[in-house]
Amino acid sequence: MRTDAKARLVYGLTLAGTLTWLATLVLAPYLRSRGVRLNALIYSVFAPTCHQLPLRSFHLWGFPMAVCGRCTGIYLGFLAGMLAYPFLRRVGREDMPRALTFVILSLPMAVDALGNFFNVWSTGNVLRFITGFVWGTILPFYFLAGLNGVFVKNDGESGTEQA
Amino acid sequence: MNQQQKPGLLVPALIGGAVAGVLSGIPLLGCLCCLWIIGGALLAASLAAKDYVVSMTAGDGAVLGALVGIVAAVVDSLVGLPLQSLNLQLMQRFMERISEFSSELPGNWRDLMQQGVNNNSIAFFLLDLVIKAVVFVALGALGGIIGASLFGKKTAPAAGPQAGGGPDVPKDPSHS
Repeated sequence: MRTDAKARLVYGLTLAGTLTWLATLVLAPYLRSRGVRLNALIYSVFAPTCHQLPLRSFHLWGFPMAVCGRCTGIYLGFLAGMLAYPFLRRVGREDMPRALTFVILSLPMAVDALGNFFNVWSTGNVLRFITGFVWGTILPFYFLAGLNGVFVKNDGESGTEQA
Repeated sequence: MNQQQKPGLLVPALIGGAVAGVLSGIPLLGCLCCLWIIGGALLAASLAAKDYVVSMTAGDGAVLGALVGIVAAVVDSLVGLPLQSLNLQLMQRFMERISEFSSELPGNWRDLMQQGVNNNSIAFFLLDLVIKAVVFVALGALGGIIGASLFGKKTAPAAGPQAGGGPDVPKDPSHS
């Protein structure tokens, strides 16, 4: 398979996986509201990565989503980054964003999380969502670079930092 | 990059995975589970980067992070076994506090929690392990790639035919 086709396949599969992941977040409360027992399995899949506290989660159909507000923001931010990716850089590149970009986009979430952790302040779910969303937008640019490095392997274009 | 120039990834992956797995398996600390896995992969990448004479690629970071995720899933599951009763006590206390403020909890939540603990067959353990492994591999890969970006960059020599060129230029001039 040609490199471009491979790169598009990697991007397409990652986008499909992201959409499936997000759909599952919404499916969990829906199934619970309908009394379908499969909802327990979905909640347990996300349990290793999130505290799933109802008070810190958005609710749909009267039940909390499968992850908290911050994680929902991260995953939706990831989707936003995925959708923006083809407009910002060529699909298939292996180079990664600058460290400074990562630090700047991580800062709001880090500050918010630390403030909450040490009881300096207590932010609501919307702010947690927003800081998570901002951080999530940068993640696909790393994730796709890694997948391209493993599965596409562009000769002469691998590296650690974008221009 | 020449394969011979790539150092082994297994030892950093074992260290990063063990740290992430232990921390994510401990009650209370486990609330930051997602960050522990990413943090473990960052640690592994920083350790592996020391042995690289050239820049770590995103692919190297992804493979390293995926290994960290597998190790962390196994360690987390093993650490969770002896700590399960402690986890249950902490969770019960937490749920009691939550139930004071929320009417969402089912009336028999104590029975349901106990039932969950009693369902500790090998099949449940393995299912839990597989689910964790899949999720942790994805998170670990992400952490490994970010780690490669943050710690794996080697600057090219100031002078030389490839100065200012691609990041795969060896740090040690003897390799050029």
